[in-house]
Amino acid sequence: MVTFTSFPNPKDSFSYAPPKFSTEDKNDMDIDVYEDDDDGEDFDSGTKLTCPGEPITSSHAYMRGHGTFIDQETVISSVAGTIERVNKLVSVRAIRTRYNAEVGDLIVGRITEVQPRRWKVDANSRQDAVLMLSSINLPGGVQRRKLESDELQIRQFFEEGDLLVAEVQSFFADGTMSLHTRSLTYGKLRNGQLVCVPPILIRRLKSHFVSLPCNVDLILGLNGYIWVSKHINQNRRPGEEGLDAESVYSNQNEAIDAPTRMAISRVTNLIKVLASHFVPLSDVILLEAYEWAIENDVEVKDLTQTDVCEALILTVGTKG
Amino acid sequence: MSATVSLSKSEKSYIRTALGELSPIRADGRSLLDYRSIALETGVASLANGSARVNIGKTAGEESGSGTEVIAAVKLEVEGVLEGEGVDGGRLMCTVSCSPAAYPHLSSAALDDLSYDMTIILNQCLSHPSLHPKNLVIIPKRRSWLLTLDVIVLSDSGNVYDALFLAARSALCDTKVPKTRSVQYQPKSNALGEQDVEMSAEAPASIFSTKEVKSTADFELADYWDEGEPLDINQEWPVCVTLNLLSAKSLPTYFLDATSQEEAAIPLRLLLLFSFSPSGTRLQSMRLMGDGEIQLESMTQLLESGENHARKLFQALKNKLQEEDFRRNQKALARFDLR
Repeated sequence: MVTFTSFPNPKDSFSYAPPKFSTEDKNDMDIDVYEDDDDGEDFDSGTKLTCPGEPITSSHAYMRGHGTFIDQETVISSVAGTIERVNKLVSVRAIRTRYNAEVGDLIVGRITEVQPRRWKVDANSRQDAVLMLSSINLPGGVQRRKLESDELQIRQFFEEGDLLVAEVQSFFADGTMSLHTRSLTYGKLRNGQLVCVPPILIRRLKSHFVSLPCNVDLILGLNGYIWVSKHINQNRRPGEEGLDAESVYSNQNEAIDAPTRMAISRVTNLIKVLASHFVPLSDVILLEAYEWAIENDVEVKDLTQTDVCEALILTVGTKG
Repeated sequence: MSATVSLSKSEKSYIRTALGELSPIRADGRSLLDYRSIALETGVASLANGSARVNIGKTAGEESGSGTEVIAAVKLEVEGVLEGEGVDGGRLMCTVSCSPAAYPHLSSAALDDLSYDMTIILNQCLSHPSLHPKNLVIIPKRRSWLLTLDVIVLSDSGNVYDALFLAARSALCDTKVPKTRSVQYQPKSNALGEQDVEMSAEAPASIFSTKEVKSTADFELADYWDEGEPLDINQEWPVCVTLNLLSAKSLPTYFLDATSQEEAAIPLRLLLLFSFSPSGTRLQSMRLMGDGEIQLESMTQLLESGENHARKLFQALKNKLQEEDFRRNQKALARFDLR
């Protein structure tokens, strides 16, 4: 089956009126700031989107932060994003960007390089993250210490290409992040497939380990990598009683039946569709989208078709 | 050839097991022989003699960067046979360059290697004497057109070779060779045929030397209502079908239009290039890629089924190209009406 389509027409050019930034506004803003400095949300920080080149405020009253520059005494946005303000510092947080890590974030990453006593991990960030041999759980108990033999057989734990879920532990001086997997909920990933979405679409949730009732588990990494896998029974989850230590670093998949594979594929496609329409992902939205797909009896491969996508977004995307 | 994405062992085994089951399921829900939707547009580069843009597997709504996207453009240059590098009858040169954005994980050296691999495959197939257009001659034994086909890979999410050849074929079919007319140098301005135009001493003598006085010395571009004529072997430009072989058993199962993850998980790929002309079907080129191996007996079977798939692809592409032609004529007419 081969189908050819055309490229969508480029959007018709719309008339662009630069946002007004008159001297009056400037005065207003200045007054605002001096009057109520605490809740001075004078330029809609966080709610409005900026365009590159859009004037934000006067450089007399504010300092320019990331994503802005100064031209003729005006702070101007250099990226498309949301305005953030900390006291006198105005910065713009870009929408399309690489992942900016924070300590404690849960991420999904892929090993790119094995080095002495450490791994380099691709985490969709500007630099590769580092995972030290000392910050993983070695098989044989939490209390076990790192031995020289572990250093020599470092590829037994993780090798190039392996996927893992980890937490951001700290940052090095050059901004590289250091990861750790010192909890039995973290570690190597198997029984599923990976989807990549823009990191801004992953909301901070109470738990980033999501179980959908369709026998599918999700790990929503804050870096935009999402692991979709077969549901693992609660008591066989890592960290529980039934776990054997050896299976933590296993590369073997369990037996996965056809309906589960189908469900995994369906969830993957749904995530792709939602991400392509820039809908922020959460367990609620995903579940709703999944139910919609089942109700309307949509084939998994048809999910990416234009009309189906739009119907889905209309029903689900607005509720977010 | 190394894979362009890295996968973990468990991901590879997940993909392989799913494909090897009795009712195979692919990661995006397609069946084994399904293509993703292919978007195609011709005439994308206004300065080229022919151009096309192809995208396989673009997610609806996504602006850019999804799917495998390839742009091909054909440019014709004049070459002297006697003084330059030109060959009598014209020649064809193909180049593929890969954008670093398409392969963010590759080093620049690995990227060069990859573009070189693709260039070799495209060039060896398209510049083969069996596919040589006859209307690349300007003046026999003197001047000819050099046809350069440049292809850029803008993003790669698998099945890049099919996309390359789809774009190349569309661009070549779109190519118009400018009409030329021979010009004769005549010392005494006698009345000759209408065809001949007198050359004055002020005529640009830079590259087209008028010293070699023979029957026809030079050419001029004819004032023609269209940009020119299409290449004369339009139907014969090949289409590529990549059979992704799952295992090297005696009865190999294969699938079409692999994503880059699937490409990384399988041991062997078979590229088949078929050319369909009124005179018959020709296997233009074939290539095995990967570290697996295959029995010779199963090749005939694969060739047969490959031909079937290629014919379907060819037919679909032909219809789409006609549609594109129609669309652009309509657009041109509409623009003409506006004036």
